[in-house]
Amino acid sequence: MLESAVYAIDIKGLVKRYKGRVNPTLNSLSLRVERGSLFGLVAPNGAGKTTTIEIMCGLKGFDSGDVKISGLSVKDSLSAIKNIIGFVPQDIALFPSLTGRENLRVIGGIYGIRGVELKLRIDELLAQFGLTNSADKLISEYSGGMKRRINIIAGLIHRPQIIILDEPTVGVDAQSRNLILEELVKINRGGTTVMFISHYLEEAESICDRVALMDGGRVVLEGNPRELAEQHRDCKNLEALYFKLTGKQMRDTYE
Amino acid sequence: MSRFFADSAGRMKYLLLKDFIMLKRDIGGIILMFVMPIALVVLMANLQESTFNVVKGVKIPLLLINNDAGELGLAIEREVESSGIFEITKGEGSSVSDMEMKISASEYLLGIFIPEEATEMIKGNVQRYVVSAFNGIDKVPFKEDVKLTIVVDPTANGSFYSLIMSTIQEKAQKVQFAFIMKEITSQVNDISPVVISADNFSGEQFTVDAKFAVPEDSNIVPNAVQHNIPAWSLFAIFFIVVSLAGNIIKEREGGSFTRLLTMPCTYTEYLLSKALIYIIVALLQFAIMLLIGMYLIPFIGLPALETGHSLSALIFMALSAAVAAIGYGIAIGNIARTNQQASVFGAVSVVIFAAIGGIWIPIFIMSPLMQIISKLSPLNWGMSGFYQIFLRDEGLISVLPYGGALLLFGTLSFLAALLYKKLYGQYS
Repeated sequence: MLESAVYAIDIKGLVKRYKGRVNPTLNSLSLRVERGSLFGLVAPNGAGKTTTIEIMCGLKGFDSGDVKISGLSVKDSLSAIKNIIGFVPQDIALFPSLTGRENLRVIGGIYGIRGVELKLRIDELLAQFGLTNSADKLISEYSGGMKRRINIIAGLIHRPQIIILDEPTVGVDAQSRNLILEELVKINRGGTTVMFISHYLEEAESICDRVALMDGGRVVLEGNPRELAEQHRDCKNLEALYFKLTGKQMRDTYE
Repeated sequence: MSRFFADSAGRMKYLLLKDFIMLKRDIGGIILMFVMPIALVVLMANLQESTFNVVKGVKIPLLLINNDAGELGLAIEREVESSGIFEITKGEGSSVSDMEMKISASEYLLGIFIPEEATEMIKGNVQRYVVSAFNGIDKVPFKEDVKLTIVVDPTANGSFYSLIMSTIQEKAQKVQFAFIMKEITSQVNDISPVVISADNFSGEQFTVDAKFAVPEDSNIVPNAVQHNIPAWSLFAIFFIVVSLAGNIIKEREGGSFTRLLTMPCTYTEYLLSKALIYIIVALLQFAIMLLIGMYLIPFIGLPALETGHSLSALIFMALSAAVAAIGYGIAIGNIARTNQQASVFGAVSVVIFAAIGGIWIPIFIMSPLMQIISKLSPLNWGMSGFYQIFLRDEGLISVLPYGGALLLFGTLSFLAALLYKKLYGQYS
């Protein structure tokens, strides 16, 4: 079931309402991410991107619809799904009083990786993301860019089939941002499905083989970035296309 | 099933490693959890011992206004001086209101006013009584009221006030008894053909043998150390809720908790690892405080702590108290939304538990309603259990109800945290 499922992520008619809000945050959202793709889910802040991935990771419940990860429903098979996915939250979700290496050791250990295998995996990822020399510093002493990178490593430690990243480049310098984007492409080429959530449309355009644009809790446009540009030649880029479709800028924030 | 437990144990090992490293590097938290309770225990044992010994070492400034020219005034002066606890200043010719002004200005902590003609008035009272008695008159003779006034500084606290008043009253009664005895003898000799003497009569006809009801073979002597070390150690163990709840909320607010929930780690495992680490901390805390009571306290002039004969009862009670405190801390850490909420609620609730539980004031002097309410405090259960060990030298059987109540409280608190997560689980 896991390996044979065509879609790494398959969301159908997902509805999520929060108490005290008139409109649903997710309004019959449907989305399919093919296995092995590098997929960008793009929308302004507050459009429901984070809610979508929190539901996918089992952090939030939902009112109706269905969410399947590698063919497994999050309602029935959450513990199996947790071993399949790697989640990189928007916040630096690490233990600040532990060193980078200690954080990775704890996280890897919880995923069931032990001994030499764990040590080699930690060293490999630290080298890949340029953090070998900082591995034994406390996380609280890391720069913003270094924190972002180790945050991503923590989501990759167990070699997940699918890695879901929530705004992984927010607040980092250009150098770290380029490194992160380059590494995401490499990881994807290694066979991992990458779901990349951002409100920076140009980032998604540059690295993703498919993007989905969200508005009002649903997907309003989905496709290959180059093909979408071809189909809408009247718009100079996807940002302009999004404005044409929704009347909103990516930098807008939903109430 | 065995695979599940093996996996769970593997995950717990790494969660424990994480919590251990975090705790080790939290210097502020360690100070709060170890140094502060030690300071508290030593200080409170010393202060309480000092309260018991207040009459021995400290001179209390006293203004004595003796307007009586007779023997009674002089006898009171002598008794007050002989007590050795007062630094006496004598004021003459002043009124009660003069004395009150000086006391309220905190020049003296205490004032005693002996009115004019006090001796003569008592002599007259005795004379009228003797004459009535010898003449077979049933009617109670006229009695002049001799009013000895004691004024106390309003800032003196309740226990000090009670202590001083009982000392003064004891001295006054002794003088009054001796004086009246002497006067009755004198009056009787005036009208009786046979001369009697009261010189060899002792006012102390019975002695009081006060002792504590502890088993005869016990080494325990109930004192301030035996009362205070366990009581304040228990208070300190419960204060761990502030650190624990803060730690849970910090992880939740920092996002690392969210990451853990997306990993193959159950919420129960996450909480159990925290509980286990903090139970170890609480037991260490308790052990250190006992060792301080046994070996350090004697160096500051207090008696050494005796831990009783039952090690199993001691371990059971310490473990039960730790489980109760940690369960409560986990519940607060889960229910409170912010660190501020947890800190304030955690600290204040423990102080309330301590206050109503009898840590600060003995339960027997509370009102009947408060005595019932005190039974609701886990610190009361803990203290009652510890008193079985430290004051009555009892064993495991006698502490089972108290330890059992604490274990139940801790377990229910832990389950409440899990239930709260299930019902209102989304923190972000």
